[in-house]
Amino acid sequence: MNQENLSRINSYLSFKLGEEEFAAHVGKVLNILEMTKITEVPKAPEYMKGVINLRGTVLPVIDTRIKFGMAPTVYTTNTCIIVLDIEMDGESIHVGALVDSVQAVLELDENTLLPAPSIGSKYKSEFIEGVANIDDRFIMILNMDSVFSSDELSSMKDKAVETEKTSEIEEIG
Amino acid sequence: MDNFKKKFIEEATDLIDGLEKALLALEENSDDPALIQQVFRVMHTLKGNSGMFGFDLIDRFTHDLETVYDLIRNGSLRVTRQVLDVTLAAVDHLKLLLNEDNYSDKDFIRAHEQLTLRVASLIDTPQALEQAAESVSVLSNADECTYYILFEPRKEIFSNGTNPLYLIDEVASLGNSLVFAHLNRVPKLKDINPENCYTYWEIILVTKEGTNAINDVFIFVEDESSLDIQKLADLNLLNDSTFVAEAKRIAAEKEDIGYNMLQTLAEKVMKQQQQKQADIIKREKITVKDTTISSIRVSSEKLDVLMNLVSELVTTQARLSLFAEQNAIPGLTAIAENVQKLSRQLRDTAFSIVLIPIENMLTRFQRLVRDLSNELHKDVVFITEGSDTELDKTIIESLADPLMHILRNSLDHGIEDADVRQKLGKPRQGKIILKAFYSGASVLIQVSDDGAGIDPELIREKAIAKGIIAADRKLSLRETLDLVFLPGFSTAKKVTDVSGRGVGMDVVRRKIADIRGEVEIDSEKGVGTTITIKLPLTLSIIDGLLVKIDDTHYVVPLSAIDKIYAVPTKEIYEKYNNVVILDGRQVSFFNLREEFNVGNVDSEFMQVVVVNYEEKRVGLVVDHVVGEYQAVLKPLGKHYKSQEMVSGATILGDGTVALVVDTNKIIKQFASKQVTTNK
Repeated sequence: MNQENLSRINSYLSFKLGEEEFAAHVGKVLNILEMTKITEVPKAPEYMKGVINLRGTVLPVIDTRIKFGMAPTVYTTNTCIIVLDIEMDGESIHVGALVDSVQAVLELDENTLLPAPSIGSKYKSEFIEGVANIDDRFIMILNMDSVFSSDELSSMKDKAVETEKTSEIEEIG
Repeated sequence: MDNFKKKFIEEATDLIDGLEKALLALEENSDDPALIQQVFRVMHTLKGNSGMFGFDLIDRFTHDLETVYDLIRNGSLRVTRQVLDVTLAAVDHLKLLLNEDNYSDKDFIRAHEQLTLRVASLIDTPQALEQAAESVSVLSNADECTYYILFEPRKEIFSNGTNPLYLIDEVASLGNSLVFAHLNRVPKLKDINPENCYTYWEIILVTKEGTNAINDVFIFVEDESSLDIQKLADLNLLNDSTFVAEAKRIAAEKEDIGYNMLQTLAEKVMKQQQQKQADIIKREKITVKDTTISSIRVSSEKLDVLMNLVSELVTTQARLSLFAEQNAIPGLTAIAENVQKLSRQLRDTAFSIVLIPIENMLTRFQRLVRDLSNELHKDVVFITEGSDTELDKTIIESLADPLMHILRNSLDHGIEDADVRQKLGKPRQGKIILKAFYSGASVLIQVSDDGAGIDPELIREKAIAKGIIAADRKLSLRETLDLVFLPGFSTAKKVTDVSGRGVGMDVVRRKIADIRGEVEIDSEKGVGTTITIKLPLTLSIIDGLLVKIDDTHYVVPLSAIDKIYAVPTKEIYEKYNNVVILDGRQVSFFNLREEFNVGNVDSEFMQVVVVNYEEKRVGLVVDHVVGEYQAVLKPLGKHYKSQEMVSGATILGDGTVALVVDTNKIIKQFASKQVTTNK
């Protein structure tokens, strides 16, 4: 399937981070993996959880919660890694995103999507493609390319929560 | 058809490269007949192929060149500087001719015509003209000679796939011939080894082609046989029936005729028929084969696929070994070990396939130095050492540009003018040496010149003027020299066409860093400059030592490791200045647990892996050493691009990921951090 066909599909995969629900276009999702052992890479930014073996290739895994300024993911049986195909500097690369749980695949009509709120949102508006209202639940549709290709933490909050694990994140000789 | 054209272009590019190399060698050694022969043959092949694939311009162009070198080959023309200049220009032009898009360009066609005229003018120089005329007249005077050829192949010649009869046929096609096959050496039936050749031949050949042409026929079997080619007479002896009859009679009576006997016969005949001229049978000149099939051409995509498969195999083998270890099934361990051995051999072989000698890129450097020193009116000799040093082809490809730049710098700024050199008491001729050699798991490439060197004061002033460093900052010589690698830094007082545009050494460093290499500069004012490039041998699979820190496996490249020691944990943690005594020597160490922030260890002993770092021994403390491991290096991906300490990851037998560390970077980073915290 090429990009054009993919974008015509209106299916979105929804997932939860804490109590909030987000969704990503299925064209971006390659795979959903159960939680597995993540090899930590020392001296990396905190949201870079490490790497895993995805059928013989090395896949970097990002803790989406930290990226969004929440507390680091606590692993439960529902924790999943969503394998995404994102565009970064004009190249297509694969990356795993840690999420608290995967919910469902939703069929959403583009016309029913609400524009992203520009004021008062916790998240940078460039990361949000729109908001879907399903049974009074608001689901934020994310632009995966911009969320996962930026080096910065995506939250509007100034600082990520400090954890006991790493303190100097970006300090590299 | 396009496919064939592509193939032709590929082949032609190789041929042209070879040609360039031969020409440069010819410049050194202008009367080496072997080189002249080689040049001639390349031109000939190029002409043949291009005609076949419809590159008419190349066909015609090389025809003229071929003529020039034919004249040289016959001794009618000498290899002069002028000839070489034109030929080298022609070689450049040939490269352009391979691109058909150029043909529509008017300027290009004009250049083509001009060059064609220049080539033609070589043939028309008076000396050549006279000689050429002579040789033409000789040709038209039925330049038929009779030769005696004794061809005795070695017994084992069949094992090379050579059929001597084809050679005889080829000789026969040169003209009229009388062939005597001698079977007297054939042993008794029971002693015959059917794989051996017992026959030898005597041939009386009448041809217009010279000894060269005859020699060419046997060119590939020279080592496999004894060959005797002698001229019997300047006329066609085979037209004389008495000579033929006599020769046949002798052949029938005796075992072989021999040159002397024929010579006497020939003299007799010549006396009788001095006036008689023979009819000429016109035969097409035979094409000389010029390449043995000692190598085959494989597309680089196929090689990439092969390398990937080998990587997969090595990973799978690691799983098998682990499985065999965990399940004590009789026989399985032996099989697993065997597979390990085989995959290691396969890996090494596959690697050696993608390694190519750096010689492949040296030709263009030789050319660069030659042309540039002419242009700059400097007298420079370019010496290469270790050109058989092999590197991964991808590395070589990305190395050419930086090296080119370094050489340009040396020529332009390094080497002084001849007069200046003389005043300084140096030889008038400057020297640039390119040396390549192995050092551990790295290949070092050094470019040194005996030129002016770099004045550290000048760099300092400039750096201060440009605001790169503060005026009161003190720098060591090394740090000062390193400044030239910063962007926008160029110390050349005048900017020339060649270098000094301020883009340069920073690009060199970046390009070399892209292939995981490092570049260093050493220079002494007035004595010369040496630039050293350090490169990894190969990019994808390394022999490593698997170690464990906390829950994570790491792979340390085996090449860097000197020795491993077990040290009590409390000794590591109670040291204030991070130095342990090992084998009676002080070794400073880094506790990777601390450096990676992974908490404290509870075991009684830790292991110190001592690695070589810039001629010093430095210890890296790990929890424990697991064992040797072949790591298939996989990239960590763009998200970890700022992560320098880890050069990649590899997948272990149990499916988990281990990180491959770059010991140099780790130590450099920690050492610099320590210095800053101490201040």
